[in-house]
Amino acid sequence: MRFSGRGIAPGRGEGVGLVDSRPVSFVGGVDRESGLVVDPASDLKGETVAGRVLVFPHGKGSTVGSYVLYGLAKRGHGPVAVVNERAEAIVATGAILGGIPLVDGVPVSVLRTGDRVTVDGDAGVVDVPTLIERRVVTAILRNRGRILMVRRSQRVTTFPGAWSGVSGYIEGSESPLTRARQEIKEETGIRSARLVARGPIVMTRHHDDVFAVHPFLFDCLDRKVVLDWENEDARWILPEHLSEYPVVPRLADVVASVLGTPTPSGPAPRRPPVQGGGADAHRGSTGSRKTGGRRRSSQPGRAGTGRGEAR
Amino acid sequence: MRITARQGSLRDRGTEAERMSMRLLLSLGEVYGADRLIPITSAHISGSSYKMIGDPGLEFIEDVARDGTVVVPTTVNPLGMDPERWREQGVSEEFAAKQRRIAGAYRAIGVRASFSCTPYLIGNRPSFGDHVAWAESSAACFANSVIGARTNREGGPSALAAAITGFTPNYGLHLDDGRRATTVIDVRARVRGVGFSLLGLLAGKEVGGGIPYFRNLRGTEADLKWLSASLASTGDCGMFHVERVTPEWRRARPQRLPRIVVDDRALKDVQREFTTGEEADILALGSPQLSADELREIAGLIERHRPRIPIWVFTSRFARDEAAPAAARIEALGGRVLVDTCLEVTLIENVSKTVATPSGKGAVYLPMLCGQKIVLDDIHQLLRRYAS
Repeated sequence: MRFSGRGIAPGRGEGVGLVDSRPVSFVGGVDRESGLVVDPASDLKGETVAGRVLVFPHGKGSTVGSYVLYGLAKRGHGPVAVVNERAEAIVATGAILGGIPLVDGVPVSVLRTGDRVTVDGDAGVVDVPTLIERRVVTAILRNRGRILMVRRSQRVTTFPGAWSGVSGYIEGSESPLTRARQEIKEETGIRSARLVARGPIVMTRHHDDVFAVHPFLFDCLDRKVVLDWENEDARWILPEHLSEYPVVPRLADVVASVLGTPTPSGPAPRRPPVQGGGADAHRGSTGSRKTGGRRRSSQPGRAGTGRGEAR
Repeated sequence: MRITARQGSLRDRGTEAERMSMRLLLSLGEVYGADRLIPITSAHISGSSYKMIGDPGLEFIEDVARDGTVVVPTTVNPLGMDPERWREQGVSEEFAAKQRRIAGAYRAIGVRASFSCTPYLIGNRPSFGDHVAWAESSAACFANSVIGARTNREGGPSALAAAITGFTPNYGLHLDDGRRATTVIDVRARVRGVGFSLLGLLAGKEVGGGIPYFRNLRGTEADLKWLSASLASTGDCGMFHVERVTPEWRRARPQRLPRIVVDDRALKDVQREFTTGEEADILALGSPQLSADELREIAGLIERHRPRIPIWVFTSRFARDEAAPAAARIEALGGRVLVDTCLEVTLIENVSKTVATPSGKGAVYLPMLCGQKIVLDDIHQLLRRYAS
């Protein structure tokens, strides 16, 4: 699978991924002579960054971190490449000074330590050949403040028994919206659904499959649902009760992304987040450049709003 | 990003330092959404205290010094010690040797050996509207707010890269839109002395990376220096406006912004919050370094109230020489006037556990960088409290 991000520091690097789910400080976090991770709070303590593709959301801590990265690279103990969700000045500076390829705008939460990763800092792309992208739609149906959750049948191959929105694989070159309408008809029998909003793509990983979820919100005139074989139960619930259900991964993010967006033309920048998570969470984590998520989420008081709650 | 022929040539055919600098500026420009690089008239670099940048920083500066030269007037931040009196500061031989190497590397790059966090007081003073590339958050905030020059809050490497190429990425505080106020701070308190530091500490926490617009505040340039420094310590703030005082207040557009009222009690609360110690081991003045006028004032004050604990005064070489009689008087009264270094970038922890200071910036960084407890108060109060 190929992730299109943004090339920050040029060059190509290939290696085994070393993934930290949390922000990384190179000062006090990584031994500057050996490249050994020494931060006791890190997922990676005891590992070495040398020769690896280092993957983490973003840098933090002292600006001296730039010099540490530079020094590691000079000694040949630096990472062969860095992948960030959102590059900031410390890591960007260190990578450029050290000649370490850096790409950001990649949803790092779908990468795992051990993945074979190729980073092209000139083209701004990250390739992980073992991963397979599965494009899917999830349609959230709404009626008078309640949203429709369906429980996936034991006969489906992924996440049987979990609660979800109306979902399905996008086939061939069809548009996500066409697929969403089709799934609504097949899985619920509802004919009155009217598109209200679409959210930015939400990525989630299951084994070597990466689901790229296209979220939609539809309003319906009534609550009569006729299930097909794919689901075995259906309930109209209040969005704030979503957390009480065992759901498919990142469903809360999908729901929040569309409920926070009033128009079908895309996410609105100033809309406050709805319960349980905000639209910002998705913009940041899908790394989509077109939505401008990076810049907006860097605004004071908005950075990460809802993200902590949503996860 | 658009680049000019000159910029392209620096990137592709320049010296190693020029190529690295250009790559850094272009990439940071990309990160922050700049449209191009713009020429600068001066630079000010941070990252000169060995305590702060350690061996990784020393190595980097020496590498740059192999073939790097600055092309605009450039000053640099304080060192980790007074180059002549480091032994009195309890600094080790090894630290001193490495610190001298850093200073030497900066000199080799053509940086003026000013070692000051107040470049605007020692001859590196831009004009209104000048684009500059300044690191040192307190100086960048002062340049934007009080002078009306334009700079982002640069890091050490990006300011150095700008000095070597003469360019900086055009975004943020270089743009008119990046200089508008984001929060109105209505001052309902009588602000003087340490009050400017307290107000800055409070406002920095409130606005974060935004730009405060102060109403009902009057202050001299010296007062605004203390406001700049503390504001930039608790916030990522790079600029403020003061209604009817600072040069760009008319362009700030404070209408329909969130508003915060600050009264005397709020300032007292901030003072209490940052006062973590009781009995100070040392009285330290600086952060930012004192001006010549401030040296004269301090000399007069300690003549009247001689402190029973050591008093260290941090200033620039430039200001000490300008106010040489005052500096000599402070020394004669038992104080120490240290130059080329400053409060928290030096090893004050070698001589003290609790510092009494009127500096808001010091109150933020001394606990973090020097493990100190703080007594934060006005200089008059402190001198009275620690009078012999």
